[in-house]
Amino acid sequence: MSLQEIIKDDFIAYQQQADGNQSFTNIRKQAFHEFERLGFPTTKHEEWKYTSLKSIIEQPFRNSCEINADAVAMAVHSPLMNIDAHHLVFVNGSFIAEASSLKPLAANVIVKNLATARTEHPEQFDAHFGKYAKVEGAAMNALNTALLCDGAFIYVPAKTQIEKPVIIYHITDSTQFQTLSQPRNLIVLEKQASAQVVEVYLSLGANPSFTNVVNEVYADESAQLEHYKIQQQENDAFQNNFTQVFQEANTNINQVTLTLDGNWTRNNLHFYMNGENCNTLLYGLYLTDGHQFVDNHTRVDHAMPNCYSDEKYKGILKDKSTAVFNGKIMVHLDAQKTNAYQRNQNILLSDEATINTKPQLEIFADDVKCTHGATIGQLDKEAMFYLQSRGITEANATKMLLNAFADDIAERIKIPELVAIMEEKIEQKI
Amino acid sequence: MLEIKNLKAEIEGKKILNGINLVVKPGEVHAIMGPNGAGKSTLSAVLAGRDSYEITAGEVSFNGKDLLEMAPEDRAREGVFLAFQYPVEIPGVSTTNFLKTAINEKRKYQGLEPMEATDFLKFMREKIELMEMDKSLTSRSLNEGFSGGEKKRNEVFQMAMLEPTLAIMDETDSGLDIDALRLVSQGVNKLRNAERSFVVITHYQRLLDYIVPDFVHVLYKGRIVKSGDASLAKELEEKGYDWIKAEVEAATV
Repeated sequence: MSLQEIIKDDFIAYQQQADGNQSFTNIRKQAFHEFERLGFPTTKHEEWKYTSLKSIIEQPFRNSCEINADAVAMAVHSPLMNIDAHHLVFVNGSFIAEASSLKPLAANVIVKNLATARTEHPEQFDAHFGKYAKVEGAAMNALNTALLCDGAFIYVPAKTQIEKPVIIYHITDSTQFQTLSQPRNLIVLEKQASAQVVEVYLSLGANPSFTNVVNEVYADESAQLEHYKIQQQENDAFQNNFTQVFQEANTNINQVTLTLDGNWTRNNLHFYMNGENCNTLLYGLYLTDGHQFVDNHTRVDHAMPNCYSDEKYKGILKDKSTAVFNGKIMVHLDAQKTNAYQRNQNILLSDEATINTKPQLEIFADDVKCTHGATIGQLDKEAMFYLQSRGITEANATKMLLNAFADDIAERIKIPELVAIMEEKIEQKI
Repeated sequence: MLEIKNLKAEIEGKKILNGINLVVKPGEVHAIMGPNGAGKSTLSAVLAGRDSYEITAGEVSFNGKDLLEMAPEDRAREGVFLAFQYPVEIPGVSTTNFLKTAINEKRKYQGLEPMEATDFLKFMREKIELMEMDKSLTSRSLNEGFSGGEKKRNEVFQMAMLEPTLAIMDETDSGLDIDALRLVSQGVNKLRNAERSFVVITHYQRLLDYIVPDFVHVLYKGRIVKSGDASLAKELEEKGYDWIKAEVEAATV
């Protein structure tokens, strides 16, 4: 039985357990039909040219929300769990209340699992769920929407701030079998609201796992979001991670993606600026070794005038690993006075590592400033010798230079524990 | 302390050093002068361990140990310091972190415990005062955006921090105006003592007005062709290098 057939059976089973939310049930049904129509993307699709799902979808994955949850949640530990924050823990997309902990929240702030929010706050849920991450023409989004179990729902009312970070842990457990898990998060910031959200992706178990994530973020006027994604799935983990951020006027979004581990990772990070004076910073760091594969596809839609976006992705590649960077900037006809910057910088530590980097600027307005640039190089030999000539070992000199390389990404992260994880991983990998 | 015997080195098949002999005793300051292309910078690079040169003959012993066998970091830990002609800018590496790492690696090599953070900061403050450096230096990235003069002074500051027994200064005067030259030289003179030796490589005599050498050697075509005291430098300043070249050519005919 092919994965697509397995998915069909799963969907039929899901429909039988559908809860009372009719609009949600309809969204899922449409999503499933769209997935059936599209099938899994192949390398014939322009967006998937360098990224093949073939080896994944030929494997006997089982879509699963069923879990040995408590054991898993306890078995996985992250140093982030010690931070003074709201912690939401999910295993295979199912919420684990026992492992989660919430601090007191301001009035009308919602930090919950989606399944609970759907019944307790249908108004907020229905207004936003499925509105930003479109399923039309997007097979992986459709798949997630059709089969998702659960995920985080964060809702911040107008003029309200969640003071402590919200940390969402998605753990894919493949201890028992090859698991396909479909986490889903929805973050809604009303006017002038602000929040700090961290998504953490972890794994457990020796079997291959496939995690297909969809995140939707809505920022109403003048909202502010610090948004970090840290991908640390180990072993034979495959992850497809889609995020759509929808920004109204005067919003500020700072987004950092750290891809530190995982066998195969495809990130799609999309921003749509639907109002004037938006500020979007998207930064990323990927560390690859062995046969790791990491693909960052980003898209910034400047749909309105006077918006600013600054994108910087950096990669450190070792062994026979491969990375793809594809940065699309769409400056729509009305988006005059757009400022959009993009850089992709890579250090290759081996002759056998590969990077495919592609800027894609599509500019339909005439009064804009857009720049892009990509660099691929090795560690600076002069700098290495300079450090060594002061008594610093080659290994430590390498570490210093790589940390320095990653420094401007680290600077964008306001949670020191996250930076520490990143630096530790750099040290471990070299 | 340093003994160089018949040292020969080449790069990509091109012979640069053709049999250098030099003995440096503790506390001595040796100036190595010579026209462009004589091999001055190659000599400093070979001593510091830059791997782009191939050593084809000779030996270098430093305090009785075979220097050429050592990795660059071990040479530094044994007490060799190279002041670069072109110090490297390293954005993202703070001067403080860099010096702390360098000092503690040397201490580890010597079997000592790492320096306590407060002791380190106190030590660094003392050296900043001694070298009359700007205090903002320590929070800046290593050499990033420094002027030529600042970079050279930072080299001397690093020397003060790392306390080498042999300091090799590669054209430290190049690109410096007279004020910067004076400041750099003052720093170096403060570091002179009975144990610490200097090999000062320069094209011009003017640096040696400030850092007065015990010995002056003239390097030409990869060999030391003439040695003398400080007065030799004055003679070179007046007469240029042509008479030396002529002497050498006459001797080899």
